[in-house]
Amino acid sequence: MPDNWSYVFAAYGVGAGLLIGYWRHLARRLKRFAKSGGGADR
Amino acid sequence: MAARALGWLAVLALIAGLGAAFGYAPREAVQGNVQRIMYLHVPAVWTAYLAFGLVLVGSVGYLLTRRPGWDRLALAAAEPGVIFTGITITSGSIWGKPTWGTWWTWDARLTSTVVLFLVYVGYLLLRGMVDEPDRRARAAAVVGILGAANIPIVHFSVTWWRALHQPATMLGPGSAPMPLWMKMVLAINFLAFTLVLVYFLTRRMEIARLEQEA
Repeated sequence: MPDNWSYVFAAYGVGAGLLIGYWRHLARRLKRFAKSGGGADR
Repeated sequence: MAARALGWLAVLALIAGLGAAFGYAPREAVQGNVQRIMYLHVPAVWTAYLAFGLVLVGSVGYLLTRRPGWDRLALAAAEPGVIFTGITITSGSIWGKPTWGTWWTWDARLTSTVVLFLVYVGYLLLRGMVDEPDRRARAAAVVGILGAANIPIVHFSVTWWRALHQPATMLGPGSAPMPLWMKMVLAINFLAFTLVLVYFLTRRMEIARLEQEA
């Protein structure tokens, strides 16, 4: 079977994107609290 | 400070996991290098199981004690659980194209994993629809407990029904037909993802605590 490196990089790229995206989402929310102390209560 | 140290530890573990998957693990004889997706796909679903198991613990804990800390644990585990399930589904789909010849098929494992994903997306949406904190936590806890029933269904779907997806190699009946080095690379990546999960969990619980105090 050919190596299909493009599929390997795509899978790891999407995985990294999801983890980094969620990490940035959490960091933004914590930074907002540090600045104003407010946010939605869920 | 401790959270920052945990974050860096998780990053170092992820780098070690990548090194093991791309440097230490040899090219697989049948599938070639595309098999390296396994070192992302399998630890991601194990971490999702772990996260949803924590949702179950938090949900039961809340219903028994009514302490908000349990509800915060359930919420904080559900979000990364959805992220890791998303990684499982996308990496599996990308792996499926070169090996099965299709991005997607509605077989038992894939379908039950999508149901698992949607149940916990629904769990998060439900939390956004109820304003009163105790009512929200109770409703979410019920979904969190019922949703966990889907974890064994996902895992054993390949045993219970005919599926294109291969049977469970690890955590299945009998010893895993897999060389030791392959198990080690999987274990390193699972450890790395578990550290990432714990980091996300602590950060999200901190946000939930600040929200409740605001």
